[in-house]
Formats: sequence, C-alpha cells, structure tokens
Amino acid sequence: MRLLPRFSLLRASVISALLVFAGVSARAQTTAQFPSDWTNALGSLADKIAAVTKRSESLSLAVKNMSSLSAADVGGLHDVLVTDLARRNRRITKESLADATLQVTFSESADGYVWIAEILDGVKENVVMVSVTAPNQKTSGREAPLTLHRKLIWEQASRIVDFGILADSASDGASILIILDAGKLSFYKSPDKDWKLAREITIEHARPPRRDIRGRIDLQAGKARLPDAECAGDFRHPESVTCTTVTALADPEIPRQSIAVQGRPVEDYAVLAPVCDDSPLTLVTGQGDWTEPDSIQAYLGGNPENSASSKIQFLGPVLELWRNADGKSARAVSRNLKTGTYEASIVSVSCGD
Amino acid sequence: MKLRLCLYLAAISAVLVAAAPSHTAKRPRYGGTLQVEIGATVTSLDPAVAAANPEEAGAKAELDALLYDRRGEDGTFAGVAGSGAFRVSEWEAGKRAVLTANEDYREGRPFVDSVEIQMGRSAHDRVLDLELKKTDFAQIPAEQARPAADHGVRVSTSQPNELLALVFLRGGPGIEAARVREAIARCIDRAAIVNFILQKEGEPAGGLLPQWSSGTAFLFSTETSARSAKEIRSQISASPKLVLGYDSADRLEQSVAERIAVNAKEAGISLTSRGISSPGNKPAHGTDIRPGEAVHVDARLVRLRMLSPLPRVSLTAFIETLGPMAGIVDSPLPQSASPEDVYYCERSIINSGLIVPIVWMPQVYGISARVRDWKQPAASETWPLAGVWLDSSDAH
Repeated sequence: MRLLPRFSLLRASVISALLVFAGVSARAQTTAQFPSDWTNALGSLADKIAAVTKRSESLSLAVKNMSSLSAADVGGLHDVLVTDLARRNRRITKESLADATLQVTFSESADGYVWIAEILDGVKENVVMVSVTAPNQKTSGREAPLTLHRKLIWEQASRIVDFGILADSASDGASILIILDAGKLSFYKSPDKDWKLAREITIEHARPPRRDIRGRIDLQAGKARLPDAECAGDFRHPESVTCTTVTALADPEIPRQSIAVQGRPVEDYAVLAPVCDDSPLTLVTGQGDWTEPDSIQAYLGGNPENSASSKIQFLGPVLELWRNADGKSARAVSRNLKTGTYEASIVSVSCGD
Repeated sequence: MKLRLCLYLAAISAVLVAAAPSHTAKRPRYGGTLQVEIGATVTSLDPAVAAANPEEAGAKAELDALLYDRRGEDGTFAGVAGSGAFRVSEWEAGKRAVLTANEDYREGRPFVDSVEIQMGRSAHDRVLDLELKKTDFAQIPAEQARPAADHGVRVSTSQPNELLALVFLRGGPGIEAARVREAIARCIDRAAIVNFILQKEGEPAGGLLPQWSSGTAFLFSTETSARSAKEIRSQISASPKLVLGYDSADRLEQSVAERIAVNAKEAGISLTSRGISSPGNKPAHGTDIRPGEAVHVDARLVRLRMLSPLPRVSLTAFIETLGPMAGIVDSPLPQSASPEDVYYCERSIINSGLIVPIVWMPQVYGISARVRDWKQPAASETWPLAGVWLDSSDAH
C-alpha cells in the first residue's frame, strides 16, 4: 500500500519533467519561428528600455496582451525580451526586489502591432514603444478524415477574376502564374522564390465592367474570358497572347446552377476527384454575404448533407471557387476584409491528419 | 478517367437543385430601389454651396460622394455631378431626392437601380420607419441603437470613431486657470455618460485617439476622481464662474453638458451649461451670436469625426480643428511620424488641459433585412450604397 504513493510521486515527477520539457520545447520552437521584424522590434524595445534605466538596474516585469497575438506568442515574446534585456545588463527580478517596474503591453493599432513599455522608477514614468507590421492571418484546417489545405498564391489590390498556374516550358521547375482581372491579363514567372511580372496585357472594355464581373481562365484551351473580352494564345509563351473585345460572350458555367447543401442553395462549389476512397468531394463555400469572413468545407460528393472535413477559414468572402484541371484541387479567389486585398489560393485535400 | 469523372459529375448532378430558388443570399443581384431616410434637410447638392449646419454638411458630403467620382485636393467633391455611382433624377430641395444608377460609372454600375432619399426625418421617425420596414437605411443616434435593436431593427455599429470633447476656448495663462481645467477634467464621470446618456454605445475617452486606432489609448486615464478635483479646487483662491456651451440643436450634447455641470458642482466648481447655435454659424471663438444676443462661453463641447483610421492622419486633422479654438500651437506631425511620435504629440495636448476628451461614439445605422453586402464604412469612408444590393426574398 505504501508503494502506491511513492509510485504516484515518481510518476508525477516524470510527467512534470516531461511537461516542463514539452513546454520549454514548444516555447523555444515558437520563439524560433517569430518573424525577424518581430525579434528586431523587441531588440529596439529593449534598447529603448535600457536608455531610460540604469546599467545593472533590476526590473520587475509584467506583461499584458491587448492585441490579437496568441497567448503562446506573447509567452514567446516575453522570453525573447527578457533575453534581450539581459544582454543589455538589465535584470528581471521579483517586484519586491526591483529597482523599477516594467509594464510591457502588446497592443495593436490600425497600422499594426504596437508594443509599449512603461517604466516606473519611483515617481518618474517613461513610456517607450515600437511598432510592428501585423502579418496577414493565414489559416488552414486540420481535421479528420479529410484535411483541407490552403496555399496563398497571390494577392493584389484590384479584384482577381480568375487565375491559373502553368509549368514554364522554357525553364525547368519554374512556373507561370496568370492573373485575370477586369482590366488586364498578367503573366508572372518565378525564376526564384518570387513572382516577377513577365507581361501585362490591357483589356479594353466598351463600357465600365460590371461591379461583380466574372470570367474564367481555361489553361488547356489557352483562353481567358470576360463577358465582353477574350484573350487567347499559348499561355506558356505570354508574348503570343492577345486580347480582343467581343460582344456579350456567354460562359455556359456562369451563373452556375445551385446545389443544395444542408438545405441551403450554394452557387460556389467545386467538385473534386476522390482522395481517400471512391467518393468524389464537393468543396463548398460558407453562408453570409460579401461583408463577412467565409470558409470552405468538403462534403462527400453524393451526400452533400455530410461534411467530410472541418472548415478552412478565410478573412473575407470567397468570391470564386473553381475546380482545377487536375481534379485534385480548386482555385479560390477571396477578399481579405482586414487588408482589403484580393487573394488567389489553391485549396487541396489530403487524407487523414 | 474521363468516364469516372462523368460518373462523379452525374452523382453530383443528382443533388443539383432544379427547384432551388432563383437566387441565393450570397452572390449579388441587380435591381430595386433603396429607400433612405436622413435627418438633415439638404438644400443644395452643389459642393460649392456651404451647408447651413453640421448636420446638413454631413448629409451633403454623403450624398455628394454618391454623385461625384472624385474629390479635389482640399477634400471637397469635384468634377461633374453624375460622374459618381448615381445621378440625380428627381430633386425637391430639403425634402426628397431620387438618385438613379449610373450605367457608366468607372467602378461598375451600382447594384440597385435607384436610391430614394427622404430628408428632414426626425430620429424618432427614422427608427419607427425602420421598425415598420418603410425604409431600408437610416442613421440612428448612438444612444438609440439599443432600443432600436430591442425593437427588431437590424443595427450596424461602427468602431467608435467620433470624439466628443470639451474645449476651453479661452484657456488663459496662469497656474490657476490650468488648475481649474485640471479639476474639471478630473471630475467628469465619463463612465456615467457612456452608461446612462449613450446607453452603453461608446467608450470613455482619455486621449484624442481611440484604442483601436492608436493602440495607446489605454495610457490615458479615464477615471473620475471627484476627491482630487476637490483638492485642486481648494488650492484655487477664487473659482471663476464658467459657461460651457453646447450645440442647442444637439440633444446629446445638451445631456452631456448638463451632466458635466453636475460633476463640476460636486467638485465645488461653478460651471453652467448653455445652448448656443451650431458651430457652422459661429463667427468667432468664444462668442456666439444669436439675434439680439451675444453669449459668452468659456468652453464648448465639440464633436469630431475621425478622417482616417490611421492615428497620425486623424490626430493631425484634430489638431487643425481644435488647435485654433483652444490656442494650441503644435507643429504638424510628419508623414514619417512613428506611433511614439503620435503618442507624445497627443500626450502634450492632453497635458495642456485645453482639450478634455469625454467619450468615443460609434456611427450607428439601421438597415432593413433585404439590404445585402452592407459594409460599415470605416473612419474615412462614406456610405457604400453603390455596393449594396437588395435581396428579393426579403422584399418590403
């Protein structure tokens, strides 16, 4: 009977050690993943704190989060700041032993993050701060049995009507990105990591295009269509492509016939080939109008009442959702309501995890 | 593979809804007339004609934004009337206007065919018409947002972007004048103003910029300290009798001014509130002239809308407006001003005691159920009526 408490104690110790290790690992990992401008900003904040405190001065540190940063991020940033202060000979200690108090607030403005330090040394208070650009929130789902993945390909200020990616025949492993918007057809090449503009063709309109203009790129046919214009040529050779004005070109798939999903009509969907078994999948956008965040969720093809994945969230409406020619992925055009930009993403599906 | 795909598509086709409604609630539809009610009576849509009061100026700016494509360098609308999203098709000055969609608008024809605007509707009538589904869109005073929502009105509330502040028009040099200002700033019960007068639609303001814009508003205290106000008052040899002016046509300003007078009295400061005509008619700072009467005011309540969500831009605009009134001379913030620069500029103005922020208020709109894609305009934006559409399934 006496063994039990001892065993429990031992087990508790092991578990505690593992938890501590896991916690430290997780935090170390988080810290390592911070963008360089975040760590640089914390370095600047530490410099500013050091400038208004004395060398070897001990500080009590309290941290408050008033921003959209996660608790894990704030924990990681706290650790980085403590290290940065130590490098500048400023020691963090208990409040009762401290020469001055340091209150750090992770705040947020319309411009981005604002990280503020209030240093109270007796009656004298100093406020210093740094600003950091907030990254676009990119989310991807993690659900079983199917997992949806979103890869952001491109973003721009003007509305994207459709986009496509082709292998560049002139360069091994490189790709060509084609962006169709109301006013132009743009070709970008990726000789390295970044897309570089290769050619831009202006599309003329007889009258201003519709506010909700729709159109499509057909990579295999080498065509990009808008209601009153068509571009054609070999898209692997952008120099061969020309755009002309046409009269009221009808796309048989626009507007699309609605399908019913859980009792509601859905106009934006993409039917994909089976991934995990023989059932095709239907990717479906969420409810709500174009002023709200949106989502994409997979449903089993023959049974649009049962979702097969969790949702992947978008920071604004999904304006277009088209099946790619490979049948395994879809291209989504969405608007990020936070930044106001239009985003082109590839949504793909994987089995499990 | 092609056969397999055909089978899959056939399977999907089986669930296609042949009988699905001819519309969905997501993708925009064209057509319909948007019914709008406003409180102001707009007598001219010509940008060159001055408005009679701030309410008319505000409404006129919103309507001109629908009619004109561009603004001039000074921010006023320019170009040809009708170059914007809509054109005027019917006009009864001060009463009614009908705007028709501009088919050739640069950014694409608006979704609605027309917008019909009824002018001079009181706040009570606007809310009532929203409740009765007689109108699609109307601005609601912030303090009426909750009651309207309780009565089933669909309410859209912005981030707080309008500052109500007390500005000392004759700050006056000397320590005693500064002590009086400090005592008044400390005695104002901002929380009570937000909770009772604004019906919780707003935030106490300690700084000149809201937290969502600057990220630093929490560094400015909004606490009431009647005790410290009394202590400061006791250090002043003779308390002057102060007059706080407010726009006599603005019931909210009146309520706030009366509340401040009560707070001041509790702190032992003699401050009376007094209605004056709209700032648009004010010939000189500190003096308000009505027919046959000159009213002296020491301070007045001022409403200020943010021109931009960006803190530097809004603070610069506030300084341009309030600086001359309060006698604050501050060098303009450069384009490259950091958040720290903006904060210290704001801090120096607040420390002067010449401007006392009171509350931040949101813009509140009542919108009918059939209006879709309504996006609450940000601080620098006007009513986005060209982008909304009417869902026929929610017809009046």
